[in-house]
Formats: sequence, structure tokens, C-alpha cells
Amino acid sequence: MSSSLTAWVDIFVRVLDKLPLTLLMTVLSLFFALLIGLGIAIIRIQKYRYIYGVATLYLSFTRSTPLLVQLFLVYFGLPQLLLVFHLDINHWDRLVFAIMAFSFHTGAFMSEVIRSAYLAVGKDQLEAAYSVGMSYPQALRRIILPQAFLISLPNLGNNIIELLKDTSLAFTIGIIDIMGQVRIILGNNHGIGMFQIYVVISLVYWATCIIIESLVGYAEKVFRKGHVGLSK
Amino acid sequence: MAVVDFKFALEQVPTVLKGVPWTLTIAIVAMLFGLILGLLIALCRIYKLPVLNQLSILYISFIRGTPLIVQLYVFFYGVPVLIDYLNPRLGIQIDADEIPPLLYALVAYTINTAAYQAEIFRSSINATNEGQMEAAYSVGMTTRQGLTRIILPQAFLIALPNLGNVFIGLIKATSLAFAVKVIEVLAISKIIANDGYRFIEMYLVASIIYWFLCLVFEFIFFKLEKRMSRSEARIGLNASA
Repeated sequence: MSSSLTAWVDIFVRVLDKLPLTLLMTVLSLFFALLIGLGIAIIRIQKYRYIYGVATLYLSFTRSTPLLVQLFLVYFGLPQLLLVFHLDINHWDRLVFAIMAFSFHTGAFMSEVIRSAYLAVGKDQLEAAYSVGMSYPQALRRIILPQAFLISLPNLGNNIIELLKDTSLAFTIGIIDIMGQVRIILGNNHGIGMFQIYVVISLVYWATCIIIESLVGYAEKVFRKGHVGLSK
Repeated sequence: MAVVDFKFALEQVPTVLKGVPWTLTIAIVAMLFGLILGLLIALCRIYKLPVLNQLSILYISFIRGTPLIVQLYVFFYGVPVLIDYLNPRLGIQIDADEIPPLLYALVAYTINTAAYQAEIFRSSINATNEGQMEAAYSVGMTTRQGLTRIILPQAFLIALPNLGNVFIGLIKATSLAFAVKVIEVLAISKIIANDGYRFIEMYLVASIIYWFLCLVFEFIFFKLEKRMSRSEARIGLNASA
């Protein structure tokens, strides 16, 4: 019994060893996804001519094709495409492609989160900002975005968790994250004990998600506190 | 060799389309069973049935906290272990190797989607006015009658947009069915792509097929919603929503 317990602990340690890489992918992709999302949201809110259509097409494509397909398109397709322009990116690290694909994918969802939060703040807030002589960027930074951020927090949290779970697909292009590590362990074990390993890995993901969830919940509490006095 | 060989891509479309029935089978069957299971779980949580309520919370948290692909693997490798364990104890002879991969996929996707649908039903049932149930009681309906005749029809309408999202998510999620060795759209594309190093072509074909499927179902759900909310508009439920 004790030997099987150490086996379990051993698997846990080896899986946890790769958790930083999963988190790194999540955080970097989240950062770029927020940038993309903000850009797309602004384009869609301001209805800029021509690029509005492009942004909508991007949204539709990203939201109606599986992430796995997008991952493959970026990893296998993009280098092939760029070779035409004599750009050789085949030697780039796989991680770059994975983060590109995840940012591209999550960016679409983020843009909708941001857009809905922006619209939820309401026009009167913007008008009030104008009436005291603020410019649009000022109003955006000081009035709209702080409120929109609070509104978007629950959705943002959901999407961060979604993103964390999505990174489990990175092993399909050969990245050694948690899932990749599992593959290696299984290879060394000649496929014995698959069930235990996948139970361990699901526990690791689960725990990480619960931590993220509570962090977002905490953030919601903190930011709401400061806003009660102002808005009501 | 051209960068994107459209002729090759077009030639392969019929082959890839053979995966569509698999994709749709998984999505539709999982959706239907998920509806039933999700509704039951939602009712367990709303009426706070002892034990079942806690189990539901744990189940939903687990499903939403782990990636689908991990769940597929746990299920795919866990069930044979379970069967090996049960066979001698129950005196039955089930050969785990003879269970078709599609069955694994169907059950695993149902378990996954039921958790999301349970949350949708819970919120939509809570969104229907409490007075509706009281009104049902006041005309002498039982709880079951009130639920099936008054609450659920309204809750279903509220849930419909979210159910549409879940279904489209499900269509996209079927691209992971390769994990349990089901050969669907993406698996076929991948096989062809690996054969001739034609990655862009095959993955473009796959993504356009998925895109098209999603657009079609988006349209169907839109029509369904419009149709079902026709009677609602008269009593002003839509105006307040």
C-alpha cells in the first residue's frame, strides 16, 4: 500500500513540475488576448468602416471553428504560408505558436466580453464625462473602463478558466506541459496506469481552476467596495 | 508546389465530409441526453435535495474545472479498469475491448455537457418569476404540474440562447473525439494532411466545414427562438427581458 502511495505522490510531483509552463502559457496568452480583444472591441464599438467587417469575420471564424483546428492552422499552416514571403519561422519555438493560437482564439471571446461590458456602462456616463470637458480617451480611461472592468470580471474569470483548460491542447503540437508530461510518463511506463495518471492530472487542473475562481471572486469583492460609494 | 493547392483541397472535401455524420451524431445525442440529465441535476440543486445537491455541486465543479480532453482520457482508460474490477465481483463477463469508441465518446460528451446545461437550466428556472409557481399552486396544481405546465416552458425559452451556445460549443468540442479513437472531421483531415504534408489545405477544409455547421445551427436556433417566443410576446415577457 505504501509503495502505491509513493507512486501516486511521485506522479503528482512530476505533473506539478510542469504546472509553471501551463500557467506561463495561460498568462501570456491572456495578456495578448486582452490586447487583441480590446482592439477588436473598439473597432466594433466605433464601427470603423472596412475593418469592422474584417473584425466581425475574425470573430465569426474564431468562434465557430474548434481551437484544435486553429492550433494546427497556426502551427502547421502559418510557416508554410510565410515561406512564400521568404520568412522562415520554422525554427521558432513551439511555445510561440501555441501562445499565438491561444491568444488569437481567446482574443475573440475577450472582445465580446469587453464590448458587452462597455455597452453595459451606458451612454449617459460618457455624456456626463463630455459635459465636464473630458476628451474621449480621458473619459475612456477615467470613467468607462473602470466601470466596465468591474462588470466584465465574472465573464473574464470564466474565460480565464476556459483558457487554462484550453492549454491542455498544446501537447498535440508537442509542447511538454502537464498533458505532455503525462504522455512522457505513460511512454516510460509502457502505458500502464493510464487511469491513475489522468485522475492526477484532472485533480491538478481542478485545483488550479478553483484557485483562479476564488482569486476572481476576491477581485470582484475588492473592486466593488470602492465603487459602492461612487455609483449609488 | 503552390502554397495553397485549392484543387487538392476541393478534391478532398467529400472525404472529409464523411466525418460530418460522426460529428453530428456525437453533438446531437450528447445534447439530447444532456438536456434530460442537466434538467434533473438542476432540479436537484433548486430543491436542494440532500446528498444529491452536494453531489451535483461536486460534479459540476469537477466538469467545469477540468479540460474536456482530460475527462475523455479519464473515461476512456477508467471504464476498462472499472469493468475489470467489477467482472469477477458481479460474476459478469464484459469485454472492455469490445465497447465501440463511439459509445465512449457519446457517454463522455453527455456527462460533460450535462454539467453546463444543468447550470443553464438552474439559472433559467430561477429567472422565471416565483409568482408563477404560486399562481400554479393557487389554481390547485401540484408541484410537478406547475413545473411541467407553467415553469419549464418559460424556463426553456429563457434557456434557449444559452443552449444554442452550448450546442455550438459541443460541435467544436467533437474535434477532440480523436482522443477516444473516433474518426470524425478533424481526424480525417489530419490523416490526409500528414500523408502529403498538406496542412494548410486540410485544416482550412476542416475549419470551413465546422464554420458552416456552426452557422447552420446558429440559424436553426435563431428560428427556433423566434418561433417559440411568438406566443410569449403577447403577454409581454419579452419586453421585460
